Amino acid sequence: MATNGTAPRKCMGKDCENEAGALQCPNCQKLGKDSFFCSQDCFKRSWAEHKKLHKSQSNILDKIFTPKVVSHPDPATGHFNPFPTFPFTGSLRPVYPLSAKREVPSHIKLPDYAKDGIPRSEQVFVNRNKISVLSAKEIEGMRKVCRLAREVLDIAARAAKPGVTTDYIDEVVHKACMERDSYPSPLNYCHFPKSVCTSPNEVICHGIPDQRVLQDGDILNIDVTLYHGGFHGDLNETYYIGEKASSNPDTVRVVETARECLDQAIQMVKPGVLFRDFGNVIEKHAKSRGCGVIKTYCGHGINQLFHCAPNVPHYAKNKAVGTAKPGVCFTIEPMISLGTHKDKTWPDDWTSVTQDGSLTAQFEHTLLVTEDGVEILTARLPDSPGGAVPMPETTT
Amino acid sequence: MDSDDEIPELIHQEDQIPDLIPAAQDDPSLSKVPITIVTGYLGAGKTTLLNYILTEQHGKKIAVILNEFGDSIDIEKQLTVSDANTTEAKPIPFVPLANGCICCSVKDVGVAAIENLMEQRGKFDYILLETTGLADPGNIAPLFWLDDGLGSSIFLDGIVTLVDAKNVIKSLDEGFGDENATELKEQAGGHDGHGPLLTTAHLQISHADVIIVNKADLVSEEELQTVVDRIRSINGLARIETTTRSRVKQLEGWLLDLHAYDHVQDADLQFASKGHSHLDPVSRLFANTTSSLTIDQTISTITINFPPLETEQVDKFDQFLRSMLWEETLPATSTQPSFEIHRLKGRVPLHNGNILLVQGVRNVYEMNEQKGGQSPADDQAKLVLIGRGLDEPIFRESLLAALS
Repeated sequence: MATNGTAPRKCMGKDCENEAGALQCPNCQKLGKDSFFCSQDCFKRSWAEHKKLHKSQSNILDKIFTPKVVSHPDPATGHFNPFPTFPFTGSLRPVYPLSAKREVPSHIKLPDYAKDGIPRSEQVFVNRNKISVLSAKEIEGMRKVCRLAREVLDIAARAAKPGVTTDYIDEVVHKACMERDSYPSPLNYCHFPKSVCTSPNEVICHGIPDQRVLQDGDILNIDVTLYHGGFHGDLNETYYIGEKASSNPDTVRVVETARECLDQAIQMVKPGVLFRDFGNVIEKHAKSRGCGVIKTYCGHGINQLFHCAPNVPHYAKNKAVGTAKPGVCFTIEPMISLGTHKDKTWPDDWTSVTQDGSLTAQFEHTLLVTEDGVEILTARLPDSPGGAVPMPETTT
Repeated sequence: MDSDDEIPELIHQEDQIPDLIPAAQDDPSLSKVPITIVTGYLGAGKTTLLNYILTEQHGKKIAVILNEFGDSIDIEKQLTVSDANTTEAKPIPFVPLANGCICCSVKDVGVAAIENLMEQRGKFDYILLETTGLADPGNIAPLFWLDDGLGSSIFLDGIVTLVDAKNVIKSLDEGFGDENATELKEQAGGHDGHGPLLTTAHLQISHADVIIVNKADLVSEEELQTVVDRIRSINGLARIETTTRSRVKQLEGWLLDLHAYDHVQDADLQFASKGHSHLDPVSRLFANTTSSLTIDQTISTITINFPPLETEQVDKFDQFLRSMLWEETLPATSTQPSFEIHRLKGRVPLHNGNILLVQGVRNVYEMNEQKGGQSPADDQAKLVLIGRGLDEPIFRESLLAALS
């Protein structure tokens, strides 16, 4: 285990060359700051000067009214960080302003939340736990929307390259949805501002497309959901952005582990399988690769509703209710991290990141339970971009 | 700041070294904060009880959350918190909450809100959640009965229901005080509509781990006994305490530290099965004809006793539970009654010396195999069910057939 080396501390006293002992200013300590002195005398002598340090840190008003600091927009681009005082967990920052809300032409059928952001049809308390079995006609509707969603994801993935912004990907997705007479389900769902979730690097899920430019070495999850013909189709994949990403062993480990976790879980799907059992397989595989499973977010039923029963946790030992039956549609969407399983949400109320800032990857399919197994409604097409990458050679 | 006008004494750093924090904080059992849900009709004495707790000397930091759980999931706006060790119990505005969408998160917004609150205001020793008068605890309990795997900072300790000794029978028989329970009507809509009345009082009693019969001084001793018998016939598992002015003798075991969702004590199940004689169909029929209606027609508790299981039968037992709780269907039986299960507890000894502990509320259940741990009384397996339409012989027959 690594220990911290102890370099001799310098006394903070004015013009004092002594080494400091174990004595520190109590006021600084209360502020969570280290300031050590060689002696009370030296401290006394320096007090007038030293106490100014407290002032700068301890404005009590700061604690009551969090100052509404917005970083100064970059003069060249007009970009800014809307939450400059937020303790970000990794190196990623939001790059605002967000682009204007994208318009949806009137001929496209809207889900109930499109106008005011509230998915009322999902919030009915009675029968909230009921898993709906779809008719043959409804299944056709699901097949259609899932195929369209796959096409849109593939178009978005082809656009995801170093140098483009996530907002550009949002534009691409939005346009592709319109061309398919489909509503982009995330748009205004519980007030989500954009048409797709773009989650780079340490973002677990629900990233908001903004003005950040993708870098060589990033990974990016693109989570697309379409609403078409009265049904939702939901899928996501994580893509390597540039050569640097697909040649970094840790990056490849987390992305490929996430991909394999989803594949292994899908292999289990058939009538009679318990929704609580996927988590055991996913967590076991993630652990075997030294990765963590994010617990806060889970897979879900999907049909005329974007999210409904069953709940499909990705972690082991859960009490999830329900058995897979032919005609049930649901998603599995494991989120796998290189480090902690714990998440934290940005003040935008959406962007979920790992608490330790470690990389996370996710894959998702919408699945239909068939009489004897599973149909992956959002399956990859022969020309779909992305796909598995071999582990890069490591030189140690 | 004023404190900078005087030069403070330097302090020894040694005096201030805090305890080391272990790097891996993934063992949440060490620090989980219990939460008790308190239900009861308006006027049953919930507020008096909570005020009593807040002003009582208990040396604990207790947060009381007043919660207007209605039919909406939009609950976090209506949560307020009061803290214990100040004598005044002032509600504070609730923390704003990230992402109100519950569907793609396994945690309910209420749980996340409370976790958030603790993060911002420091840990509590205990949390009491007061629901509205007409809340169905069966809808709330599963939200707080979190998977161990989630590593939440809170755990569901149990449900305490207050009833008003003077009015509870009226509530159970006539739906007194229940006029606005729309959710209930919708539920009953699926039923034949001619069966005995299901009231919120039934639901609050059937899901309770502790029932406090309050305002005992307002009724005669016989009336009180009738009330207690009636409640016992609904819920044979719960502990029942009679009080006046919500003064509970002792907080531990009655309101705090219930461990109703992590322990399955043999004594509790024994207790439930003792009440069993009340509940067979004959005495129920008999009760129908008498005027002392101490047996409830709507909700009852049954205990199914069956022989210890072989290891190979565990999966069959699990299948039985899944069918009963998830599909609301009794397996392997020709008679298919209409029923609903509100609460379930079981201890099932295995031939290998281990014991299966089973817990459930509504359709959520958990089964754990405990190594060893059999007590002398565990010569028989016991499964206690509380709910509507429970007929012991039919359930027993189905279970035995499913196990064979």
